[in-house]
Amino acid sequence: MIRFKSIISRIVILHVIVVAITSVLMSVALSWLLSVATNNIHNQAMEEQAMSLAEHLVLKADGSLSLALPPHLQGLYSQPYGRYTYAVIDESGKTLFSSLKDNAPIFANDPRAATVQFLETSVGDAVISGASVRRSVGGKVLWVQAAEDLANSDVLIDDIVDDFYRHVGWITLPILLVLLVIDIVIFRRALWPLRQASETAQKITPARTDIRLPFDEIPTEVRPLVSAINKALDRLDEGFRLQREFTADAAHELRTPLSILRTRVETLDDPGVAKALRQDIEAMSRVVSQLLDIAELEAFAIDPKEVADLQTAAAEVASFVAPLALEQGREIALLGATAPVFVKGNAEMIKRAIRNLAENAIRHAPKDTVVEFVVEEKGRVTVQDRGAGIADEERELIFRRFWRRDRNSQGGSGLGLSIVQRIAELHGATIVVENRVMGGAQFSLHFIPAAAPPKP
Amino acid sequence: MRLLVIEDNAVLSELLAKGLRTAGYEVDLLATSAEARAVLMTTTYAAVILDLGLPDGDGLTLLRELRHRKDSTPVLVLTARGGLQDRVSGLRSGADDYMVKPFALEELVARLEAQLRRPGQQLGNSLHIANLEFDLRGRQALIDDQPQVLSARETDVLELLMRSKGRVVSKKQVEDHIFGLSGDVASNAVEVYVHRLRKQLSDRGAKVTIHTIRGVGYLIAEEKRDPV
Repeated sequence: MIRFKSIISRIVILHVIVVAITSVLMSVALSWLLSVATNNIHNQAMEEQAMSLAEHLVLKADGSLSLALPPHLQGLYSQPYGRYTYAVIDESGKTLFSSLKDNAPIFANDPRAATVQFLETSVGDAVISGASVRRSVGGKVLWVQAAEDLANSDVLIDDIVDDFYRHVGWITLPILLVLLVIDIVIFRRALWPLRQASETAQKITPARTDIRLPFDEIPTEVRPLVSAINKALDRLDEGFRLQREFTADAAHELRTPLSILRTRVETLDDPGVAKALRQDIEAMSRVVSQLLDIAELEAFAIDPKEVADLQTAAAEVASFVAPLALEQGREIALLGATAPVFVKGNAEMIKRAIRNLAENAIRHAPKDTVVEFVVEEKGRVTVQDRGAGIADEERELIFRRFWRRDRNSQGGSGLGLSIVQRIAELHGATIVVENRVMGGAQFSLHFIPAAAPPKP
Repeated sequence: MRLLVIEDNAVLSELLAKGLRTAGYEVDLLATSAEARAVLMTTTYAAVILDLGLPDGDGLTLLRELRHRKDSTPVLVLTARGGLQDRVSGLRSGADDYMVKPFALEELVARLEAQLRRPGQQLGNSLHIANLEFDLRGRQALIDDQPQVLSARETDVLELLMRSKGRVVSKKQVEDHIFGLSGDVASNAVEVYVHRLRKQLSDRGAKVTIHTIRGVGYLIAEEKRDPV
C-alpha cells in the first residue's frame, strides 16, 4: 500500500477523494433539484391551462354544457400539433369534451379526488403528464384535465436539464480542482516555517549546541513539538557543559599542585634526587593529562563536516616527540605521503591519537632503533617500532584502560591505547595491530578519506 | 626587566617569582583579575604571565580587554586546561604563547625570552648549547668562546636551529629562512648546507649534534656521550 508521508501529499490525496465525491454528490443533488423545479413549473403550467379551459365552459339554456374554445387554443390542442391534450369529465365519469379522437378521458377520473390533482399516464412510449382541476359549472361538478406529451419535440425543459449536464455540469470539476491547487499553496505557505526550522536544525552539531529552533513563525499546532525539541537540546547542552566544567575543574585541581611540586623540585640542591623526582612528576602529569583526555573524549563528538590533514598531523606529532625520543636514544622518521592527505575528523584529536601511538612505540623500541610514521594517501597512518611486538592473546587486552603488560613497569599508564581507540571510534576509523616481519609492532589507523577543504 | 605574574595560587606564584628572579627578572605578583585590571591600566610591563583560572573571572576576559585597548605587552598564558576549545580560544584572545600546567620553570623562562626577543622588543644576547654559543647581535658562532668563521648560509642555518633549541625545525622552515622568497631551491640544497654545517661544527670540536628527523626536519642538541 502506498503511504503518504508528507502532510502535503496527505492533504492532496484527501482533497482528490473529497473532490471526486463532491462532484458526484453535487451532480446528483443538482439534478434532483432541477427535476423538482421543472416538475413544479410543468404542474403549474398544466393547472393554469386547465383553469383557462374551464373559463370557456358555458352552460347553455337547455342545461347542457358547451366548450367554446377561441382559435389560438384550438390550435394549441389540435391533433396535428399533438403536444397538449384536454378532456372534461362529469361526475358520472362520462367524457363531455376531449381533444382526443375517440373522445376519451386523459386520466381515469377519481371522484374523490381533491380540487387540483397532478397525474401521469403513458401512451406507448410517450409520458403524458398533466393536471386535473375540479370545477363546478351551473351546479354541475366537472373535472377539467389538461396534459402535455413530454416526448414532444417542442418540450424544452428536459433538453435544458440534459444540456446542463452535458455542458454546465462539468464546471464543478474545474472549480474544485482550482480550490485544490489553492489549498496546496496555502498549506505550503503554512508549513514554510517548519521547513526553515529544519534547516536551522541541520546546523546543530556537537560544536554548535547553542542553536535553538525558531519559535515565532511556527504554527501553534506544531509549537509543542518544537518547544519539546528545544528543551531536549537545552538538557543536552547542559550535559555537555557540566562535563566540560568537570574536566576544567579537575584539570585545575590536579595540575596546579603538580606545577608547584615541579617548581619546588627544580630548586633542590641534589641534582640526582631532583632528576628522579622530575621523572616521577612527568609520569604523574602524563597520567593526569590522559585521564583528562579520556574525560574530554566522553563528551566530545566530531563535527561531520570537519576535515583534517593527516600528513601535517603526523609531521607535527613527529616534531613534537622527536626531541624526547632523541634524548632517549631513539630516532624518528616520517615516511610515505609528502602532500596533504585529507581525512574526515578533528586535527587535534587525530594528533592525540598518533601521539599516543608514538609514545607507546618509543617506550617499546630498543635503543638506537627508528620509530617510523608512515602516512598513506588512502587515509592511513601507521606507527611502527622494532620492539618485542604484541602477542596474539594481548591484542584485545592492550586497548583496555590501565592495562599494562608489566604492572611494575615505570613506563605508561595503560591509558594511551584506550584513548587511541576512543578517538578512532569517534572518527569511524579502524585500528589494525600487527607484528612486523623483521620484529616489532605496528599500529595502523585508517581514517575516512575526505575531499580537500575549500580554500578560505 | 619587570614582569607581572597573575596567579591565584599563592604557593605557585611565590615559586614562580623566585624562579624568575633567579633568571634575572623583577617580578610583581597579583592574585585576582580585578587587581590586575587596575594595575595594567597604569603600569607597563615587559611581559605578563597570566593564569586562566582566576577566582574572580576568566583570565581570557582580562586578556581580551588588554588587546582591545591595543596594548601589545607579550602575554604568556598558563592554564590547567589543555582542552581543544581552550587552546584555540586562548590564542584567539591574543595570547602570545600558551603553556599547560605542569610546566618546567626552565621552559617558561625560555619561552618568555623568546617572546621578549620578538621584533620591536629588546634583543637577547646569545644562545648556548654545550660549548657552542651563538651571538645574536654579531651573528657569530663561538666554540669554547673562540669566534668561528662560517659561510653566510651556514650561519643562517645555525641561527635558526639554535633559536629553536629543543624543537624540531622543518626542512621547509630552513628553506624559507635561507632562501626567503627568492624562488627555486634545489631539492637537496638544505641537506647540503646542514651536512656542511654538521661537518664544520664537529671538525672544530663543538659538543653538539644536528639530528636529522627523516621526513620532518632537523634538531640541534647537546652531544650525547654514551658511557662505553
